Amino acid sequence: MTVAVAGMLTAVVGMLAACGGSETGDPSTSENAQGSETSMDATVFTVNYPLAYFAQRIGGRHVTVHFPAPPDIDPAFWQPDEETVGAYQSADLVLLNGAGYAKWLDVVTLSASRLVNTSASFRDRYLLVEGTVTHSHGPEGDHSHEGTAFTTWLDPHLAIAHAESITQALSTRWPEHEGDFRDGMTSLEADLLILDSDLAAATAAADSRPIAASHPVYQYLAARYDLNLQSVQWEPDVPPSRSEWSDFQRLLSEHSATLMLWEGEPLTETSERLGSLGVTVVVFDQSGNVPAEGDYLSVMRRNVESLGAALAEE
Amino acid sequence: MKGELYLAWRYLAYHRVKTLILTTSITLIIFLPVGLRVLVRQSQEQLTARAEATPLLVGARGSPLELVLNSLYFESDVPATMSFGEVRRIEGTGYALPIPMYVRFAARGHPIVGTTLDYFDFRGLRIAEGTNLRMLGDAVLGARVAEELGVGPGESVISSPESVFDIAGTYPLSMRVVGVLEYSGSPDDEAIFVDLKTTWVIEGIVHGHQELSGSGAAGLILSSDTANVVANAAVVQYQEITADNLGSFHFHGDQGTYPITAVIAVPPDQRSESLLRGRFESPDELLQIVPPIDVMDQLLETVLTIEAFVIAVVVVVGLSTLATAVLVFMLSLRLRRREIDTMRKIGAARRSVGAVMASEVTVVLAAGVVLAAILTGLTSRFGSDIIRSLL
Repeated sequence: MTVAVAGMLTAVVGMLAACGGSETGDPSTSENAQGSETSMDATVFTVNYPLAYFAQRIGGRHVTVHFPAPPDIDPAFWQPDEETVGAYQSADLVLLNGAGYAKWLDVVTLSASRLVNTSASFRDRYLLVEGTVTHSHGPEGDHSHEGTAFTTWLDPHLAIAHAESITQALSTRWPEHEGDFRDGMTSLEADLLILDSDLAAATAAADSRPIAASHPVYQYLAARYDLNLQSVQWEPDVPPSRSEWSDFQRLLSEHSATLMLWEGEPLTETSERLGSLGVTVVVFDQSGNVPAEGDYLSVMRRNVESLGAALAEE
Repeated sequence: MKGELYLAWRYLAYHRVKTLILTTSITLIIFLPVGLRVLVRQSQEQLTARAEATPLLVGARGSPLELVLNSLYFESDVPATMSFGEVRRIEGTGYALPIPMYVRFAARGHPIVGTTLDYFDFRGLRIAEGTNLRMLGDAVLGARVAEELGVGPGESVISSPESVFDIAGTYPLSMRVVGVLEYSGSPDDEAIFVDLKTTWVIEGIVHGHQELSGSGAAGLILSSDTANVVANAAVVQYQEITADNLGSFHFHGDQGTYPITAVIAVPPDQRSESLLRGRFESPDELLQIVPPIDVMDQLLETVLTIEAFVIAVVVVVGLSTLATAVLVFMLSLRLRRREIDTMRKIGAARRSVGAVMASEVTVVLAAGVVLAAILTGLTSRFGSDIIRSLL
């Protein structure tokens, strides 16, 4: 067995550990996953963790969900190796996020009839990425590498649309389990609606107050809850350069943010310097990959608590 | 009787040239119409079998025959292209599984077929060696291509320019061979299969090039601002897709506008087929939808008319050849008058002399029939291969 496959299996077990026990609504233990009656013939692969979580909640014991990305990378910018692509090819269904997520899909071969774009139903609600860079060379003229924002699941209503699409796809593929899939969907939808109301309550205090984000990944969250958000392109584990600090201070002069959303905990020196500028760090994990602890819902609940607390302190 | 047969045999053996000419004539008289008929029937079966196995074909308006020959047999000129977005349109109807095809390029005389993995499932093609397509730039060879080129997994094939004068046209792309298909006895054996996106790389609308934002590209940048980078024509575009440069390959614009030559539409039932065909009935429709079997039946009707004409000609020619052969035998009897007299004088009965002559004719006829049967058998056995090499 190769390292890649072993890594994939590890990730799958990790994911199942997070998603297992879906019937109880507490998908947190690996024992639940191993103890459930999964049909080994029904395999579903996904391109990110939220879809894997939704699929496991909906599919329950009838499907085995695989999300083979290594735990330490952003799946949006991952490039699976050949063996992992082979594993994706063996799936009954491959759930895609759509909105330009996972560019690697452009450079691999997957069976088109097994791909499901789970955001196709709200394609008209995709948000364009601002600040697109075009380039030109030779006789071909300008090329634009325009794109759409892809962290669609951060809007719980769009997350429900993803889930509905998954339910539809699973029911079409395995109609004999449609009733169970619908039950799973109902339970998941209820959780996502609670998350939506919690987020609405937590962000109510924001009231168009300027907020900064370390990365342009919160477009759908901002659109859903009317957040006045401006983003830079910083990484939590990389100290911003001198010019990036200058740009940020220029941004603050026009957009006086006192909160800054981060995908992960930034370096201490970054936090301290932000503090000296009067900016509080708030970790809002987009949960694109399998969390180290808990599951999608628990991560989102932590996000709600952090953001709500930070806004309440203002 | 044994004696008469021996004398007949000795005569034929002595006049071996005459015997050979007569036997060949008889063989051809029998074989030509029969063999031609076998060949036509086999080609008919082959053509219709593949057409029957392909429910519907969608392509740009134009010659349906060209569309069918290009998409099913990878032959004929490249039909007018249609946009990839039409695949989504067909998929959106829910009436059929669409399998896009782009059959335009070639490598060392073999067609490059750009498609999706669904094509392999649809045709029941299996991998004999290596793996199926996985990454951009991968190629899977038909069994005969691998045999003829002597290429297997781990090696590569390079796409050919469309024209020797096409200096500024498509760049040759080196494609990594990852698998070889099992022999299928179909045109798929003669093709090189790649992902549809790889054909777009060959065409140049999907490409990979060196990074323009790094410090190493400074000499290539003509101008740059926050929204646009203009580089000079010296930017290196990759002609081979490797693990190192795979990430640099990118699409420009809407993939829905990219070209394909056809879509094989596989409806689940008759009703869906009818409904799908109805979607393409509008006079304003820019696409055509054809059942390949209808197109091939029309072609075969023409072929059968020609076949009947050719067989009639062959039969007439055969009858004249037969008459000539009879004349040869009769003249031969006249020339052999002295030989017959000698046989009578040494005591041979009239019946025995007649038996010798009849045996000679019978042996020649029998040899002709046996040889014609062997040739017909060989045609029947290898006819399909001959047809495939001709198609």
